[in-house]
Amino acid sequence: MTGGRVPAQAAPAAGDLVRDVGSLVTLPDVYLRISRLIDDPHSSAADIARAIGQDPAFTLRLLQVANSALYHFPSEVGTVAKAVSIIGTAQIRHLALSMSVAKCFAALPNDLVSMANFWRHSLLCALVARHLAGEARRCDPDAMFTAGLLHDIGELVIFNRMPQQAREALARVIDSGDELPVYEAERQVMSFDHAAVGGELARHWRLPALLEECIACHHDIAAATLHPREAAIVHIANSLALMAELDTLDPESVTPITPLAWLQAGLEPDCSEPAVRAAQAAVAGIEQLFSPSQ
Amino acid sequence: MIAPTPAISAADRPPPLPALPGFEHVRRNWNARLSAYAARILPGEYYVTRGGEAVSTTLGSCVAACIRDRVRGIGGMNHFMLPASAGDPDDCRAAGLGAATRYGNHAMEHLINEIMRNGGRRENLEVKIFGGGRIMEQLTDVGARNIAFVRDYLSAEGFSAAAEDVGDVYPRMVVYFPASGVAKVKRLRSLHHNLIAGQEASYAGSIAAGPVGGDVELF
Repeated sequence: MTGGRVPAQAAPAAGDLVRDVGSLVTLPDVYLRISRLIDDPHSSAADIARAIGQDPAFTLRLLQVANSALYHFPSEVGTVAKAVSIIGTAQIRHLALSMSVAKCFAALPNDLVSMANFWRHSLLCALVARHLAGEARRCDPDAMFTAGLLHDIGELVIFNRMPQQAREALARVIDSGDELPVYEAERQVMSFDHAAVGGELARHWRLPALLEECIACHHDIAAATLHPREAAIVHIANSLALMAELDTLDPESVTPITPLAWLQAGLEPDCSEPAVRAAQAAVAGIEQLFSPSQ
Repeated sequence: MIAPTPAISAADRPPPLPALPGFEHVRRNWNARLSAYAARILPGEYYVTRGGEAVSTTLGSCVAACIRDRVRGIGGMNHFMLPASAGDPDDCRAAGLGAATRYGNHAMEHLINEIMRNGGRRENLEVKIFGGGRIMEQLTDVGARNIAFVRDYLSAEGFSAAAEDVGDVYPRMVVYFPASGVAKVKRLRSLHHNLIAGQEASYAGSIAAGPVGGDVELF
């Protein structure tokens, strides 16, 4: 053991962790069915609506979401066919995934963070990312919402599989007077961070490349090559979600936003406050819609 | 990547001043952003300094009093909670809570006495209070009880808080500079709740196990 390095057998890689949880946490059939249909050039919107209709519980929730303040459609969305046509097939896939996230989280219980608190941060990040997508050009709000919901999922994997190291990393953050970012502490303790683990899980699940990159690169946005703008938006949304949680607009109170992020996202820092306020106002209303108890 | 914080290189960093007698065990780290050493205290501890260094702690439902002689710049911080006890837990003034308040009185008196022993004068004392957050969903609001105690103590002793940030649902990181009286408070994200609550729970367990009658020896 040299230079304080942990022996190799005690240090699993991010990929090993994901292999362990891969069988534990699976995406629901309805999402997989929709995904297959969207990737199939011969399928139609009607096929997708039919696939959704096979799952009555999901259908009910989808219509609730479609009629929520998230979309503010002028008239009631009464059928799945209508929901698919006005939300869009690609967006429906993201929405189906968003509606499954809480279930995936629940499969990763841990003692370090309460699921309610973790879920709230994810939801705030999703709402901010969705808001910022509306400000940025050519950016899909539904995709960004899903990316925000999933951005920290690697954290839950680490908390569930490596509780001692995770505790040690969080203790280092506190010990540093909250100067050391969590991902940095994780890299110190286990040589990878939650973003890397989340990216591996996204790859394992064969999620769209956009989501994989947003999750994997949200703390290192320069590494995003395919979707640099979206990764930058999630990076910003993470910090703004913390501002929303702590009810502050002081950038010093939260994980710093790298100046590169604004450039890469094509956004100005002055859009922070409206995004934080919008997320704070919306979170209570949609918490129930996306939660597993529904 | 994060923009680098302007930091004094290790070579330019001044050596820490010697700690006052009795406080040598408290860990002090160089904080690059504050350009100062910070002594980090844990639940049940306190720290007094005459130098330009900071005292820092992390508070959940515990409270910290930051007290200094505003003329001489001598001061410090404590970090405590009242032990759980029988009687009405929401009102520390109720009868039957003598042991609990005695513990709080000790925490306050230790800090004040130590400041005076090192040259502080009672009439110059300036007090700031922090903490008492409700970070976990619990039946009793332990934080509110701690805040009520400190407020009662200060008014009974003829002090008033020059500044405070107490209550609410957040854990806090407090950094206090006794020389200038500056106190920086940072709310901590919910990711840290369980760790901080766990630390406080083991502290609460240790004080509950201690003697409750007679003179409670602290620290």
